Amino acid sequence: MSASNDGGPRGWLYERTGVDRVWDALFARKVPEAQGWVSWLYTLGSATLFVFVLQAVTGTLLAMNYVPSPDHAYDSVRYINTSVVMGHYLRGLHHWGASAMVVLVGLHMLRTYFMGAYKYPREGTWMIGVLLLVVVIGFGFTGYLLPWDQKAYWATMVGTNIAGQTPFIGPYLKKIFRGGPEMGAATMTRFYALHVLVLPAIVGALIMGHLFLVVWHGISEPPTRAADADAEKEPGR
Amino acid sequence: MAQDRPGEVSRKTFLGIVTGGIVAAIGAVVGATGLAYFASPAFKSESEDWVDIGPASAIKHGVPTKVDFTQRRRDAWDVIEQRSSAWVVTSNGADFTAFDPRCTHLGCPYRWDADKKEFLCPCHGGVFNEQGQVVAGPPPRPLDRYFVKVEKGRLLIRPLVKRAIA
Amino acid sequence: MKPWQEAYEKRYKAAKERGRSFFPYAVFKDALVALIVFGVLSYLAIHFGAKLEELADPTDTTYNPRPEWYFLFLFQALKAFPGSLESVAAVVLPGAAILLLIAVPFMDSGPLRHPLNRPFWTALGIFAAGGVATLTFFGLRSPLLNPTQERNPQVMAGKRLFSELNCAYCHRINGKGGKVGPDLAAVAGTRSDDWLKAHFRNPKAVSPGSVMPKLNLLPEEIDDLTAYVQSLGTGGPYSPEAPKLFAADCEVCHTMHGKGADIGPDLSHIGAARERGFIKNYIMNPANTKPDSIMPSFKGQLTGLQIEDLTRYLAHQR
Repeated sequence: MSASNDGGPRGWLYERTGVDRVWDALFARKVPEAQGWVSWLYTLGSATLFVFVLQAVTGTLLAMNYVPSPDHAYDSVRYINTSVVMGHYLRGLHHWGASAMVVLVGLHMLRTYFMGAYKYPREGTWMIGVLLLVVVIGFGFTGYLLPWDQKAYWATMVGTNIAGQTPFIGPYLKKIFRGGPEMGAATMTRFYALHVLVLPAIVGALIMGHLFLVVWHGISEPPTRAADADAEKEPGR
Repeated sequence: MAQDRPGEVSRKTFLGIVTGGIVAAIGAVVGATGLAYFASPAFKSESEDWVDIGPASAIKHGVPTKVDFTQRRRDAWDVIEQRSSAWVVTSNGADFTAFDPRCTHLGCPYRWDADKKEFLCPCHGGVFNEQGQVVAGPPPRPLDRYFVKVEKGRLLIRPLVKRAIA
Repeated sequence: MKPWQEAYEKRYKAAKERGRSFFPYAVFKDALVALIVFGVLSYLAIHFGAKLEELADPTDTTYNPRPEWYFLFLFQALKAFPGSLESVAAVVLPGAAILLLIAVPFMDSGPLRHPLNRPFWTALGIFAAGGVATLTFFGLRSPLLNPTQERNPQVMAGKRLFSELNCAYCHRINGKGGKVGPDLAAVAGTRSDDWLKAHFRNPKAVSPGSVMPKLNLLPEEIDDLTAYVQSLGTGGPYSPEAPKLFAADCEVCHTMHGKGADIGPDLSHIGAARERGFIKNYIMNPANTKPDSIMPSFKGQLTGLQIEDLTRYLAHQR
C-alpha cells in the first residue's frame, strides 16, 4: 500500500477502490518461468480469452443489424455484409473468430494434457476447462444456424437429427432443440437466445471460475524429469 | 522489485510499455471499427426517389387536397410498401406545394377547414394558413414541405426530404 | 494432504520465487500472440470474409449438407456405423469422451507430470488427437455427392421477388402459372435488358394497353427481376456455326436428335431440363459441377464466344 499515500489522484483512487492491490494480486504476482519455445505454449489460454472478448464485441455489434426470423435473418445478414459500414469485416471477424476459438481451445487443452497440468492441485481448473470446451462447441452449433442460408439450415437439420438419436430421450430432445416438430421460426429464436443470452452467461461464469483458479493456484510449471524423479522419492504415494 | 537483476528495470519498463502499446493498438482498431459500424447511420445520405402521386390535374386550384400514395422503399434489409400522404396546394395549376401531413408541433395529423380556410391541428390547437405559416397555437415553425415537381402532367414528390421555409 | 502433494506445493513455491513477475514478462508474450491472432483473423475476415450461401430452401434435394469443420470428425465417424448403432457414434461416444476428459485428473492422479513418465496417458492423448485429426482430414476430402451448382445471386434474388410479388398469378414459365400475361420463358431473350427494365418501371410506357400494374419497384429490384427473366430464356439466337461446333466437338460422346454417340447423355432436350447458366458452367468445367464427370473441360479449348454460342444452341433444344 505504498502508493496509496502519495496524496495525488492516484492515491485517492487506490484508497477508495484498492485497484493497486488487485493489480498486485493479478499482474504483479510471480509465476514460474518457462524457458524457450515452451514459454510460448503458455499464451494459448490468454489467446483464447482474447478471441472470446473479440467474439463478444463483434457479436454485440452484429446483433444490432440482425433479426432472428426465417423471414428476415438472411436479408439482414446480407445487409450487414453489403450495406453496413465495416459490416463485412466485423462479420468476417466473428465467423473466423469462431473457428479460432475451437482451434485455440483445442491447442490449450493439448498443452495442458501433455504437460500433466491438470494434476493436483489443478483438477478443478481442468474440469471447468472441459465444460468451457463444451460451451464453445455449443456456441458454434447455435451460431451456425443464424444466417439461415442453405449451409446453416442443412447443418442444423443434421445436427438436431443427431440429437434425436440419443437413446430414450432423443425424440423429445429433437423437438426441444427445434422448438417444435419442424425447423422454423421457433428454432431460430431459440438458437438466438441460447447464442446471445444463455451461453454467454454460462461461459462468463465458467471463465471467471477458470481464471480465479489459475491465479489462486498459480500457473503450472513446465514438467521436468528431474522434478518427477524428486517426487518419486517422496514416501506414501 | 528488490531481486531484479541489473538492467532489468529498464527492460521491464520497456516490455510494459510495448505490451500496453499492443493492447492499445488492438483496442483502437476494434474500437474504431465498432464505432464506425455503430455510428454509420448518422452519416448515411438519404437517397430518395421521386414518387408518382397522381395526375397534377386532380388538384383543385386554391383548395388544399390530401393525396394518399403508396411508396415502395428500402427499410434497412427489408423492402416495405408504406402508405403515406401529403397536402398538396396550388393556386394556378403550375406551381405546387406539398406539405408533410404532420403538425410541426408534436406530429399530429392536421386537417383543412374549408370554411375558415385554415389547417387546424386537433391536438393543441395549432393553426396554419394556406401557405403553411403558423397563424395561432404552439407550432414552432411553418409546415414542413416535400420536394415536388410536375413531369408530363404527373405530380412527383420526395417524401422523406423536408425543408422548413420560414 | 498426502506427503507428495505437500512436497509439490513446496517445490512449486520455490519455482515461483525463482520466477518473474507475470506482468510484463508473460503478459508481453500474451499480447504479442493476441496481436498475431488478431492480424490473422483480420486477414481472413477481409480477404475471405464470411460466406453467405443461398437462402435456406427446405425443398432443395440437390444440396450437400456439410457441418462446420470442427464437427467433421463426428460426421465422418457416423459413416462407419450401421444404422442401428448410429446413436452410439453420434451421442454415446462423444458424451463418453467428454465424461472421460472430465475424469482424467482422477484416473491419472499420481505426482508424475512429464509426458515420458506417463506413457499410457501420453499415448492415449496422441491416439485421440490423431484420430480426430485423421477423421477431420478424410471428412474434408470426402467427395460431394450432389453436383454443386453455381447460381447467379442476382438471378436468385429475382426468383425470390417473382414469388413474393405473386407474378405467377398472371405469368407462366414453361407453361406453369397464370395465363393473363405472356409465358416468360418464351419472352426472355427476345427483349433487351433495357426494354425489360423500362417495362418493370412502367409497363404501359413500353407496352401501351398492358394490364400489368405498375409495381413501384426499386432500381435494384428491377435489375434482379431482369436478370431472372433473362436467365429463363436461351440467351438469344445462336449462330449457324453452333450446330457445326456441336458436331465437331460434342457428337463424339453425345447424341443430338438421333445423331452422335451414347457415351454421354442425349442432349436433344437439354434446354428444357437445365438453365442456361448451368449449361455454360458445365461446358467450361464439368468437374466443378459433377466431380466424377469424364467430360473434358472446354474452357481454353473453345473461345468465350464459341462457348456462349454453343450454350445458346443447347438452351434452344427443348
